[in-house]
Amino acid sequence: MGKNTTTTQQTVTPSLAVDLAGLKLSNPLMTASGTCGYGYEYGDFVDLSRLGAFVTKSITAEVRPGNEPSRIVETRAGMLNAIGLANVGLDAFMAEKLPPLQRMRQDGPRIIVNVAGHSIDDYVNTAGHIAADEDVDAIELNVSCPNVSDGLTFGTNPKLLKELVGLVRKAMRPACKLVVKLSPNVEDITATAAAAVEGGAQILSMINTYTAMTIDINKRRPRLANGTGGLSGPAIRPLAVYLVHRVYRCVARDAGVPIIGMGGVQYWQDAVEFLLAGASGLAVGTALFADPATPVTILEGLTEHLRQQGCKSVTELIGALELHTDPPAAPYP
Amino acid sequence: MSLLSDNTTPAQAHGRGRFDATVELNRVICREHYVLRLRLPGGFPPSLPGQFVQLGCRPPGAPDGAIDASWLGGCEHAWQPGDTPPQAQQPELRERVSVLRRPFSIAGRGDDAGGSWIDVIHRVVGVGTAWLAGLKRGDAVDLIGPLGNWFTLPAGKSMGLLVGGGVGLPPMFYLAQALYEAGWDAVGFVGALTADLLAVTFVADTPPDGQGAPWRCVEEYSQFDFPTVVTTDDGSLGMHGRITRGLERYLSAQTREDAAKTVVFTCGPNPMMHAVARLSASHSVDCQVCVEQAMACGMGTCQSCVVKIESPQDPHGTTDAGRPWRYRLACTDGPVFQAKEVLW
Ligand SMILES: Cc1cc2nc3c(=O)[nH]c(=O)nc-3n(C[C@H](O)[C@H](O)[C@H](O)COP(=O)(O)OP(=O)(O)OC[C@H]3O[C@@H](n4cnc5c(N)ncnc54)[C@H](O)[C@@H]3O)c2cc1C
Ligand SMILES: Cc1cc2nc3c(=O)[nH]c(=O)nc-3n(C[C@H](O)[C@H](O)[C@H](O)COP(=O)(O)O)c2cc1C
Ligand code: FES
Repeated sequence: MGKNTTTTQQTVTPSLAVDLAGLKLSNPLMTASGTCGYGYEYGDFVDLSRLGAFVTKSITAEVRPGNEPSRIVETRAGMLNAIGLANVGLDAFMAEKLPPLQRMRQDGPRIIVNVAGHSIDDYVNTAGHIAADEDVDAIELNVSCPNVSDGLTFGTNPKLLKELVGLVRKAMRPACKLVVKLSPNVEDITATAAAAVEGGAQILSMINTYTAMTIDINKRRPRLANGTGGLSGPAIRPLAVYLVHRVYRCVARDAGVPIIGMGGVQYWQDAVEFLLAGASGLAVGTALFADPATPVTILEGLTEHLRQQGCKSVTELIGALELHTDPPAAPYP
Repeated sequence: MSLLSDNTTPAQAHGRGRFDATVELNRVICREHYVLRLRLPGGFPPSLPGQFVQLGCRPPGAPDGAIDASWLGGCEHAWQPGDTPPQAQQPELRERVSVLRRPFSIAGRGDDAGGSWIDVIHRVVGVGTAWLAGLKRGDAVDLIGPLGNWFTLPAGKSMGLLVGGGVGLPPMFYLAQALYEAGWDAVGFVGALTADLLAVTFVADTPPDGQGAPWRCVEEYSQFDFPTVVTTDDGSLGMHGRITRGLERYLSAQTREDAAKTVVFTCGPNPMMHAVARLSASHSVDCQVCVEQAMACGMGTCQSCVVKIESPQDPHGTTDAGRPWRYRLACTDGPVFQAKEVLW
C-alpha cells in the first residue's frame, strides 16, 4: 500500500480530481454553506479559483432577516450559531448573486447552490428555479438547519425526506446534481441517508451543525438570543468523521453515492481523516472565519501527503480506512 | 488619501488584506488595558478612523508545521522526553485557544521607513485578549484589515465631541488625529467605572477637572491641542458620574451656533452609546456611533453581527412604533452608523 515509497516520491504528481456522481471537480475542497457568503466576499484573501466547488449560503424563496442577535458565541474548540437562514431571497439571488458566481465558474470551481424552504412546494419551486440555470452544477438541499422552527422537519423524518427529495429531483434540470445535506440531530443517520438516496439524492453532504446551548451563568440565560444554536468547528470533527464512516459503510458505498464530508475541517490531516472514512468531497466552514485561505492550505498539505504515501490519485484514500477487525490489506514492506 | 469625506466608498475599494505583523511594543496602560503596537514591514493599506482589524489571537500557523505527518501515520515520531508531544501542539487540545479572530478598532497608525504600524488598545476580558496580553516584542500576530466603514466629517461642521467609554476609547484617539489634520476643533470625553480603568495617559501636573471643565489633561488629545473631560462612575478621578453627565454639561453650555457646527462621535458599551445618542438628539446635535457586535468573519459572510437600522427601503420589519427597519452588518455596513438610524 505504498507506505514506504521513497523512490516514487519525486516522480508522482498526484491527481486531486474527484468525480461526485458525474460532478467533476478539480479537487475535493469546497466551502461549507453559510460560512462564505455568496461568492467574492473572501476574494481578497484566497484565490477562489483553486476551490473544487463553491457552495452558497442557503437561499429561500423569500427574503429572511434571520434571528435576533446575539447570533453567535464561541465555545471551546468551536462555536454556536443561530443565524436563522438570513439571506437575500430567491429573486435577489438570481439577479445579483448568481452572475458573479457564473464568472467564478469560468475560472474552475463548480457552483453548488444551497436551498432551504418551509414546505415541499417551497423547496420544489426554489430548487427548480435555481437549477434551471446552466451554470448551477448542483443544488444542495438544506433539510437540516437547527436554527429555524421548521428547519429540521424534513431532515429528521425519513418518509417525508424521501418524498421531498423525489419531488425536488423531478423539478430540477436533469443535468444539475442533487445533494442532500444530512442532520446529525437524528437517532439513526443511516435511516435519513437511505431515505435521501431512495428519493433520488445523487450526493450526500454531512454534517450540518449539532443543536447545542451555552448559558450565561450570571444572567441565568442562554447566551444566544435564539436559546439554542448549532455547534460547529473542531469540536464536532470526531463526531462528523464517525457519521461519515457509518453512512459510507451502511448506505453510500453500496449505493454508489458519494459523500461530501464536513464538520471541523481545519488542517489537511482532518481532510485525510474524512477521505479515509469515506468522503469524496470536503467542505470547510468555521475554519474560513479564522482563515479564508484554509481550503488552499489544505490542498497543499493534502498533495504533499499523497506524494509521501505514493498515491497517484486522491481517490485512493476515499474509504480506505482499515478497521482493526479488517484483515490486513497488505503486509508492511 | 483625503480623510473622511462625506461620500464614503466601500472599504474594499481601498484594499485590505492579511498581514504578518510583529509586536513592536505591548505595554500596560492601566488596569487590564494594553497598548499593542504592531509593525507591518510591507506596509498597510490606507485606513480611516472607525475601521477595525481582525487579530488571530493564537500562535499563527502553529499547527501545520507542528503536527508531524509521521505522527498521524503511526508511531514513527521520535518523541524525546522534554519534547512537547505533537498532540499537545494541536491548538484545540490545549486548554483553551480562540477559534475565531477578534475584532479591534484601530487606535492609531503611522507609516515610516520601516513600513506601517498600527496601535490596538485592548482590555483583557477573555481567552483571546489574555493571549494578546502575553505578547512580547518580536512576536508574530496574524492580522486582517482594514475592515468596515469609518466616521465621516459632514460639510459645514467643525467641532467634534469624542465620547469614548471603556474599550470604546481606541477609535476616538485615531479620530482625534484625523480631526486635527482636517482642521477641526474637538473635545475628548473619557469615562470609566473607576480611575484605574481609564486607558489614557494623563498630562503631568494637570489633573482632570472635578466639575467637568475641558482641560488639556489627557496626552492622547492634548497632543493635538484638544482638551478633555474625564468622568468616573465612582468619582475617583475627574467629574463624579457617567460620561453622559460630562457631555450634558458641555452640550447645555453650548450656544445654538456652536451646536449647529458640532458632531458627537461615540464608541462604547451599547447602553452608553444609546444614552449619548439620546442626549445628542435632545440638543439637536448630529451623532455617529461605532457599534461593537460579536463577529465571526468580519467580512460580511456569516451574518452574525447584525444591527437594527431604520430603513424605509427594503425593510425586514416594522417596530411597534411603526418605524421600518432592516438588519445591517456591523462588519461591512458599519461599525459606524448615524445614531438617529439605530433602533436600540
Ligand atoms: C468593531 C469592534 C471593535 C472593537 N474594538 C475594541 C478595542 O479597540 N479594544 C478592545 O479591548 N475591545 C474591542 N472590541 C471588543 C473585542 O473584540 C472583545 O473584547 C474581544 O473579542 C474579546 O475577546 P476575548 O477572547 O478576550 O473574550 P471572550 O469573552 O472569551 O470572547 C468570546 C467571544 O465573544 C466575542 N466578544 C466578547 N466581547 C465582545 C465585545 N465587547 N464586542 C464584540 N465581541 C465580543 C469575542 O469576539 C469572541 O468571539 C471591539 C469589538 C468590535 C466588534
Ligand atoms: C455561521 C454559520 C452559518 C451557517 N449557515 C448554514 C446555512 O445557511 N445552510 C446550511 O446548510 N448550513 C449552514 N451552516 C452549517 C455549515 O455549512 C456546516 O455544515 C457546519 O458548520 C459544519 O462544518 P464546520 O465545522 O466546518 O463549520 C452554517 C454554519 C455556520 C457556522
Ligand atoms: S461578522 Fe460575519 S457578517 Fe459581520
